[in-house]
Amino acid sequence: MAQQSSAYAPSGRMTGARKRAVQEAITGYLFIAPASILLTVFGLFPLLYAFYISLHRWRIKKGPFLGLKNYTKALGDPQDILWFVVGVVLIFLAWFIWRNMVQEQRAWAMALKFLAVIVLLVGAWAAIMGLGKMIKSGDRQMFESFVITIFYAVGVVPVQLAGALLLAVMLYQNIKGKDWYRMIYFMPYVTITVASAGVFRAIFSRRPESIANRIFGLIGVPPQKWLQEPHGIWELIFGHFGIHLKQVLLGAGLDSFLVFVLLGPSLALISIMLYNLWVFIGYDAVIFLAGLGAIPSDLYEAAEIDGANRWQLFRHVTLPLLSPTIYFLTVITVMGVFKAINHVLVMREPAAQGTVDTASLYIFDQFYLSTRFGYASAIAMVLFAVILTLTFVQNRFAQRRVFYG
Amino acid sequence: MASTAPSIPAKAGARVAEKQPVSFWYRYKVGRILLYVVLTFGALIALTPFVYMILGSLLTRGEMMNRKLFPKDPVAGLQNYVQAWNEANFNEYFVNSVIITTITIVGMLLVCVLAAYAFARMRFPGRDLIFGIFLATMMIPETILLIPNFLIVNRLDKMMSPVLPWLNNWPSLTIPFMASVFAIFLMRQSFTTIPYELWDAARIDGAGHVRFLVQVVLPLSKAVLFTVIIFQFIGSWNALVWPLVVTSRPDWRPIAVGLYGFISEAGPELHLMLAGAVITTAPVLILYFFTQKQFTEGIATTGLKG
Repeated sequence: MAQQSSAYAPSGRMTGARKRAVQEAITGYLFIAPASILLTVFGLFPLLYAFYISLHRWRIKKGPFLGLKNYTKALGDPQDILWFVVGVVLIFLAWFIWRNMVQEQRAWAMALKFLAVIVLLVGAWAAIMGLGKMIKSGDRQMFESFVITIFYAVGVVPVQLAGALLLAVMLYQNIKGKDWYRMIYFMPYVTITVASAGVFRAIFSRRPESIANRIFGLIGVPPQKWLQEPHGIWELIFGHFGIHLKQVLLGAGLDSFLVFVLLGPSLALISIMLYNLWVFIGYDAVIFLAGLGAIPSDLYEAAEIDGANRWQLFRHVTLPLLSPTIYFLTVITVMGVFKAINHVLVMREPAAQGTVDTASLYIFDQFYLSTRFGYASAIAMVLFAVILTLTFVQNRFAQRRVFYG
Repeated sequence: MASTAPSIPAKAGARVAEKQPVSFWYRYKVGRILLYVVLTFGALIALTPFVYMILGSLLTRGEMMNRKLFPKDPVAGLQNYVQAWNEANFNEYFVNSVIITTITIVGMLLVCVLAAYAFARMRFPGRDLIFGIFLATMMIPETILLIPNFLIVNRLDKMMSPVLPWLNNWPSLTIPFMASVFAIFLMRQSFTTIPYELWDAARIDGAGHVRFLVQVVLPLSKAVLFTVIIFQFIGSWNALVWPLVVTSRPDWRPIAVGLYGFISEAGPELHLMLAGAVITTAPVLILYFFTQKQFTEGIATTGLKG
């Protein structure tokens, strides 16, 4: 601490110290120079460059300047995009008003709360209407890839975190062979993705004797096509009981994109989600275990003296103190879902008819297979905007719920 | 125990049990047994793919066709490994992966240790701002960087091709990964915990920052160094999309790309594909078994200070 003050000490008194401070600053810049240069070239500049590429027709070689045409091709009519953006901004505004007024009791605060609700309704209407029109005039496959990513996230994130937390709590008990369990649960994470995804491709094969069919057969599930099954999960379940959900929904006059959403993730995507759970539950559990170990035991003792039962201990001691870890893992997992590409690439079967193509994979296909650099970059920028919005929301949400010691 | 234990406490214990009937769950340890059952069941699920991979890799072609699960002659099944090794050209891919991983780790350590040290222990204007920018770059998904980075590497390749070509060569596979913000972040955290008294003592002895870093900080930071090396190792060994994009010939393709090609081509030769999976996974798993404790602990600590 003493040096902290001496480094920036007023001049005149200690020229020696000042000289040292300058020297240290120069050395510091030299030390961070290699990392800074690499990060600028391969981490920051590419972001601007991607935006530049997205403004052009760019197929391997740079083509003419297109302005925002790649974006309108992906997202649809600018007017509809505007409606959507205005809607989202209004929703945020409503939330902002509500949050500031929620504790006020006076009459004008009530009026503002009422206003917030109206703004929310208008915003939601504008956003949904705009989005509906965007899907009609934009790149439908891209929107589907976003829906698939959302399916993936909604299916994986809660199950993975809850499963890992449960596992960690179980492993945290005083049990024999703890190290063995921990080692086994962690093995999937260490395995090469391509190799384990290849093995899962064989396990979730459509053959009636595949491992997945044998295991799920034990609980009475009829043989499935798994990774080669493009039909949605609800469609399959209803179909099992003789109802053709797709026809019913289409017959009810619903939009075909909405029907795609309502039919749920394809069984192929669910197989990939199961793979994801298999890989990461053990990894998350190990991180949770470290978090559990960091909770001081006297807190538990104090709560026990106050007469808390086991559930109350978990709910009021473990969970709040574990919230930073939960938040960290949520962020990591959500980012992981958006980055998910390697294992999907390996487990993707043509028979799945694109129902497993997450946003990242769609961008990769546009870039690598179709060599549409400009268009792929535009979609990547859209994905980036989505991720930034999500991170913002996550941050806001966490601010109130995450308890830092 | 029973023979030597005095009878009085036993009786007292019995009396207590009479007064407060112990629950069924507690008496028969149902909870504990359930715990072990669930944990073991989960462990079996975690292990099944590995067991299937090893058993399947030892099947003959005929057994695979007849949907057998267990090989009749596992020793003869070892032939699959030889065949997969030769067919998929694993020899070359394996060497490539080892070289790529080594260069990346050495470079990453050089670049990141210096940066982490500067951020942790040195004072210079804009330090925290620059570190904040570093951290912010972690939020940028790789998918977005893929296309511009491919073009950048292409340009670098053209610029430097007489001396050091980038495409189909090690620089494009290693240099972009040397500045790992995650590694800098972890190491910075570890370096800040080193007491200032040590620095004062070192300075009195006439040591500068470089000597202090090499002789004091690094020996005290073995755990975190191990962790970042492990992460980089897994990352490099796993990399698929980027190597696929920047290499067009097998001479620099790493093992994940080789296996990916092999899986897409293997088709009905499932037993060979599984043998290939065993071959690529084995080195990492063996490394894991030997360093298991540091490995899991190193990774576990990364979540503590999110």
